Amino acid sequence: MTHVLSPTRDVPPPRRPGGGVLGVIRGVGELLITLGLVVLLFIFYEVYVTDWLSAQKQHQATSTLDQQWRNQRGLTDRPIEGSGIAKIYIPSFGPDFVFTILEGTTPDILAVGPGHYVGTAMPGEPGDFAVAGHRVGKGSPFNDLDLLASCDSIVVETVNQWFVYRVLPLKGEAAGWSAGKGASQPCTGAGPLPGPYRDVVGKEVVLPAQTEVIAPIPGHPGVTPPADEAKLITLTTCHPQFSARERLIIHGVQVAQYPKAAGERPAELTAG
Amino acid sequence: MYSWIWRHLPGSRAVKTVEVLLLVIAVLALLMFVVFPWADARLPFNNVTTG
Repeated sequence: MTHVLSPTRDVPPPRRPGGGVLGVIRGVGELLITLGLVVLLFIFYEVYVTDWLSAQKQHQATSTLDQQWRNQRGLTDRPIEGSGIAKIYIPSFGPDFVFTILEGTTPDILAVGPGHYVGTAMPGEPGDFAVAGHRVGKGSPFNDLDLLASCDSIVVETVNQWFVYRVLPLKGEAAGWSAGKGASQPCTGAGPLPGPYRDVVGKEVVLPAQTEVIAPIPGHPGVTPPADEAKLITLTTCHPQFSARERLIIHGVQVAQYPKAAGERPAELTAG
Repeated sequence: MYSWIWRHLPGSRAVKTVEVLLLVIAVLALLMFVVFPWADARLPFNNVTTG
């Protein structure tokens, strides 16, 4: 046993200069390092903690909705803001992609899950079933919205119905649709829409103030919809990622509807 | 800053260690439950709706 390596072990270290200019510099340095750590911690909070918090709230909302559906209780045509109204499945995002949609689009509601714009159509109603969702943090339900292609299915489950929507042809795809992509089987019913809907495309990027994208005829606010009003779905999120400069918009059209039967799920959920 | 805090904490070395831990937990809780939610509401990418 040697004590050569720690000869000053029991001697207190000389006190470093704590006052004066050096002390101030050291204090500022420590403060800056601390602030840097706080910023890193905030990033951690945004990327992970908000996900955990939202996952818990989403889980809660889903079990409440499941219970209402089981008991057939607490269901109204005009649900109160913050309550679950439907579930959304996007099979091309994976078989586990399902979120409970809540009524309303306030920040508190969107922290729970995708929110239905109050006043727009409900699933299956003629008009535009418009839903907003987070792209970054808070469970980021609509993180991959930009990856959706035309004809991708968006399935909405309500208390007693399944509604299958498909993303409309993207910009530039409408020309030659029936001979091209439209000929493939999943695209049945998801071709370019006629009449006042003809300029509605599957995906667009708009400015934040452009509320007309969630109008019954997207892009044409105030225009009276035709009697055979199309049943559309519109999803909105922020764009580009991490920015609020624009909004990413997805439009889909309802192509099928099935009454819910015990244990049965629409083929679109697995086939896409 | 940190050495100043350490010097002004009462008690023995072991007691001070516990006090430091409590302080760190208190600061973390303040950040996680008060400061960060407040700052979060002001971030641009929370704006996902139109209008």
